[in-house]
Amino acid sequence: MDETMAKSTERPKSRSTAVVTRVVRIVGWMSIVIGVLILGFVAQQLFVTTWFAQQNQAALVEEVESHFTQAEITEVEYVFPSSIGTSGQGTVTPGAGGSATDPGAPLVPKSRTVLVESTPEKGTAFAIIRVPTIDRLKDGWTVVEGVGVRDLRNGAGHMPNTPLPGQPGNAVISGHRTTYGAPFHNLDELVPGDLIEVDTALGTHTYAVRETIIVRPTELWVTEPRDGAWLTLTTCHPKFSSRQRLVVFAELVDGPNWEAIYA
Amino acid sequence: MKQWFISLPGPMGVKVVVAVIVLIVGLVALFFFYDWIGTNLLDSGGTIG
Repeated sequence: MDETMAKSTERPKSRSTAVVTRVVRIVGWMSIVIGVLILGFVAQQLFVTTWFAQQNQAALVEEVESHFTQAEITEVEYVFPSSIGTSGQGTVTPGAGGSATDPGAPLVPKSRTVLVESTPEKGTAFAIIRVPTIDRLKDGWTVVEGVGVRDLRNGAGHMPNTPLPGQPGNAVISGHRTTYGAPFHNLDELVPGDLIEVDTALGTHTYAVRETIIVRPTELWVTEPRDGAWLTLTTCHPKFSSRQRLVVFAELVDGPNWEAIYA
Repeated sequence: MKQWFISLPGPMGVKVVVAVIVLIVGLVALFFFYDWIGTNLLDSGGTIG
């Protein structure tokens, strides 16, 4: 009788123990699988994408050098936006034939001859960006035409419909901050006065950082045309998030077109 | 895993080939999934607009 009683109380206990064991085993395996997947994600994003980007760099540097020899360079007459009142600043600058103090003199739009290179095809590497004060960009990183997902996997990307670096207006270049080589990883280290160099078919253009701001990804005004020659660099902010954008504005201080634009 | 492998159709050679193909397809799909998450959440490339 006692033995029967003991057996009947043992059975439910062992059954519940088996269920608990099974649940713990399933949860354990799931944790391991999820952990491996997360580690795989981190490894793929931080190391695999960077490895691919670095492998591409050597070939892209050759492509840039080839572009330098093949690009068509022409001299064009550039009319300064502010001299015809289209810059958004609403100013009208008298030209060489007029004087600001002479109301009777005709207003002549201010224009200069600048060097312009042919627009590269989308996806083509056409320039090298270098920032001497940032380790990752000290030796340069290629710039490709376009800011599509594929373009930015190879290098920093020049935004189409904005001038090429070294030309008047606002040249916009975007780049990854944590993946695909992360060329703009330490862009937040730039302070006003730091120099940025861009090699193009025209030569080396040197820009000085003027301002760094953080904006929402939809704030298109940062890409709008500007008087003079500007370079705008954009990247994700904060690191490891695409919630905002870090934007660096830099102004041309030296290069083949500097004299024509600023002198 | 072992049971899944045993349940694959055909002789041992075919099972191995099918398992390798499934593994490769799975890894490629996982790679694209990682890339998609990375582009949308981690680093979109810093583009504006």
